[in-house]
Amino acid sequence: MERKEVMKRLKNMGTEVVEELETGNSPSIEVPVRTLSNIKFNEELQQLELGASTSKRSFMNVGQSRKFMQTMLIAAWLEKDLVGKGLHTSLRDMYYALKRTIPGTKENTFEDQHSESDPIIVDLETSLGALREELHLNADVRGRVVGNVVIEDRGDTVNWAKLGSGGWSIPSNVEDITIKSVDAEYILLIEKNAAFERLHEDKFWKHENCILITSQGQAARGVRRLANRLSTEFKKPLYVFTDCDAYGWYIYSVIKWGSMNLAHVSDKLGTSQAKFLGLTMTDIEKYELEGYTIRAKDMDVKRAKELLEYPWFKNELWQTQIKLMIKKGYKAELEALSSKGLRFITKTYLPEKIQAREFLP
Amino acid sequence: MEEAEEIFKEFKEHSVAEFFKKNRQMLGYSGKIRSLTTVIHEYVTNALDACEEAGILPELEVTITQLGNDHYRITSKDNGPGIPKKHMGKVFAQMLAGTKFHRFIQQRGQQGIGCTGCTMFAQITSGKPTHVETNTGKGKTYIADIMIDVKRNSATINNEKEIESPERGTKIIAEYKNIAFTRGDYGAGEYIRRTAIANPHAKIIFKDPNNQRFVYERAVSVLPARPTPGKPHPKGLDVDDLVSYAHSSQERTLKTFLVKSFDRMSGAKAGELEKKTGLDFKRKPGSINWEEAEKIVAAIKETSFLAPSTKELKPMKEKQIREAILNVLDPEFYSIKSRAPATYRGGVPFIIEVGLAYGGNSGKKANGDTRTEIMRFANRTPLLFDSGSCVITKVVNELDWKRYKLKDLENIPLSIIVNMTSTYIPYTSAGKTAISNESDVYREVQLAIMECARDIKRYLSGKRKKHERRTRKQTLVRYVPEISRALEDLTGKKKSDLELKFMEIINKKYGDISLNGEEPKEEEHKPMQEDRRLQGIEAAQEDLKKMQEEQEAKENEDLED
Repeated sequence: MERKEVMKRLKNMGTEVVEELETGNSPSIEVPVRTLSNIKFNEELQQLELGASTSKRSFMNVGQSRKFMQTMLIAAWLEKDLVGKGLHTSLRDMYYALKRTIPGTKENTFEDQHSESDPIIVDLETSLGALREELHLNADVRGRVVGNVVIEDRGDTVNWAKLGSGGWSIPSNVEDITIKSVDAEYILLIEKNAAFERLHEDKFWKHENCILITSQGQAARGVRRLANRLSTEFKKPLYVFTDCDAYGWYIYSVIKWGSMNLAHVSDKLGTSQAKFLGLTMTDIEKYELEGYTIRAKDMDVKRAKELLEYPWFKNELWQTQIKLMIKKGYKAELEALSSKGLRFITKTYLPEKIQAREFLP
Repeated sequence: MEEAEEIFKEFKEHSVAEFFKKNRQMLGYSGKIRSLTTVIHEYVTNALDACEEAGILPELEVTITQLGNDHYRITSKDNGPGIPKKHMGKVFAQMLAGTKFHRFIQQRGQQGIGCTGCTMFAQITSGKPTHVETNTGKGKTYIADIMIDVKRNSATINNEKEIESPERGTKIIAEYKNIAFTRGDYGAGEYIRRTAIANPHAKIIFKDPNNQRFVYERAVSVLPARPTPGKPHPKGLDVDDLVSYAHSSQERTLKTFLVKSFDRMSGAKAGELEKKTGLDFKRKPGSINWEEAEKIVAAIKETSFLAPSTKELKPMKEKQIREAILNVLDPEFYSIKSRAPATYRGGVPFIIEVGLAYGGNSGKKANGDTRTEIMRFANRTPLLFDSGSCVITKVVNELDWKRYKLKDLENIPLSIIVNMTSTYIPYTSAGKTAISNESDVYREVQLAIMECARDIKRYLSGKRKKHERRTRKQTLVRYVPEISRALEDLTGKKKSDLELKFMEIINKKYGDISLNGEEPKEEEHKPMQEDRRLQGIEAAQEDLKKMQEEQEAKENEDLED
């Protein structure tokens, strides 16, 4: 979206509020509801979508007036000080830029970044139909990539195969990157950095001719968008490799189907053709890793039970895996494979799984 | 013979002192604290009665000075009619110990021996006479020291003199040992405070031993009407009463006996009873037996009578209670209920008056907390002791206060004032400090307290709602400048115009609520203030101005910092 268009939409929001105010009514803004109740799973597109429910944030409603005020402050600041000036910044910077004591009171405009200013940005993204990047706010920078890929980024040509031990660090905004050439059979996205290091040291990507990405935990928007672009634009299969627990599986879920918070941009961030490679409960039995499991805590079981209920996990293979975990009461990290030897993962596990096309949908 | 005379003499010599000592508990002289309060009670009661009888608005001054351990001098001064010289002995030194109970009349005292008890008590504890200065308003003050001659059971008057003075009234100075002053619930200070509440027509000045001075100004300048003797009401009359009244009656027929002895008993009503019982009412009253009396009582129960005549009852009246409450407690809110006259037991009429005062100086302050206090009065006389056995305390304790949003009486600034007015107060004991649990009295007290409590509940819930609404308004107003500035940035509209618009929509909903909480204090009793109707733009402008001023003040402060 054009910078001007973003500014126009922000201005429009202000104008609508003023118009409502001038009719003598309580001004309000409509925000799409982002709770599970308003998240729809599109079977056909295999992605999470936002439903039609919206909630009104009204000034005169004392329970909402603070959020209303905060939304106005952020909108004005984005329009005037950030997008308007062509600057980019982080959510944390924005929080500090807007935090101050309301004159004559003991109340601050913002008290907390994660519970107050961050959610309002998501509100604005959904209600304005603009991406965070388009609002000039950078998401977290996390994740690295290696492989036979050449790109152009801000005028620099970067070859991911020639970046030594570190690989290319994935920026928060990969929208403006030009991918010049891709020479790979598939993309392997790994949750854990340690496993990525192992595979990189073993030159796994060279031998297998693939692209290796690590998300370093939950995948940041940059990682998700990059995986989406590589897989979609160059028709490469995407395999996801995470810990064997509800949290690892949910990382996969977000990569494949999109997240609930960003359901409005699932088409850009979700990669529906992604497949789950491991670690599965079946792997634990097959590779005799029972001795290296961790007892599942209450939270693990609770989270697993939630996964069971998500419509996008309602297929037999996933249901079996999740139920098995709840039944056995243990989970495993993908490092458990190292119990078979440091290079077991490179030499045996991954080639076998990929060869046998043993994936979960 | 000589021996017998000696014994008899000794008996006589000691009889008065003996009587006092034997009965001192009953007379209120038990315990150091209570003894002091009793002395104050006797002096104050006598002074008030004397003033009222003479039609004088009372002005009392009571001073307690500590002279040593358990040793005090008490001074009581009034502007009463003064005591004629010839009555001095009778008032201060004669143990009448008689009862006034045979008179069916509402009285304050009922203690019988009054001031003589004080004189006696002063004498046996300190050995000193009671000093009296009295002036009947005829230009001369008569001064004397009075002791009780226990041999002759009469006054011994010393140091008599007369001086010229225009000032009418009586001043008593006496020294006591074996008494103690306390600031607590049972102390003289509390007794005076409650007396002031029940007697708003009196001005009372009290100086305590710590040199603290309490002034209770006169709130009403009309004397309460004097009570007059009356007759018992037939309702509630029991068989035993009827038999004994009838048997001692001098009337010639049962009918005239009934008509003349009982309140609201007309000839027609007596005729009705005659018909219902089938008895011959032309008989001598003394001739009826128990069974016949039972029949009459049963017939009375089925007959309707006018409510008891209240001409002999002189309650405080709502206006006076209100003045007293405002004067002494200065409450945030209060409610007063006066019940219609009722009867208990043998047709004894009584009236219950209740005042509930909330906030201000209401309630009992203890260790920084304020909790509910019960002020009990019988014929305007404060009842301080034996609270636990009093019907009033019982009603308060048994009431479901939660129903009235007053669930934690321990933490509420509430004063519960109950006055029972009657020709005969049913005390639990001769000490006359608590009213016994008569079911009719219980019911009346309960109903009156409940009526008042309902008012308090209404007030409190309104107050709570108002408080909530104010908090809401304050929240909204707080955000107006921030939002307006943001909208100015987004749309280019002027911030001040936007602020005014916001204040307008806020005041459309909250125009009746002021921002700073300075609502008229007793709005329940005052007509709606003009500015409360001020709504919309005017109120908006006002609030905005207030807000800006506050902000400027705050900013200046910040600059100074």
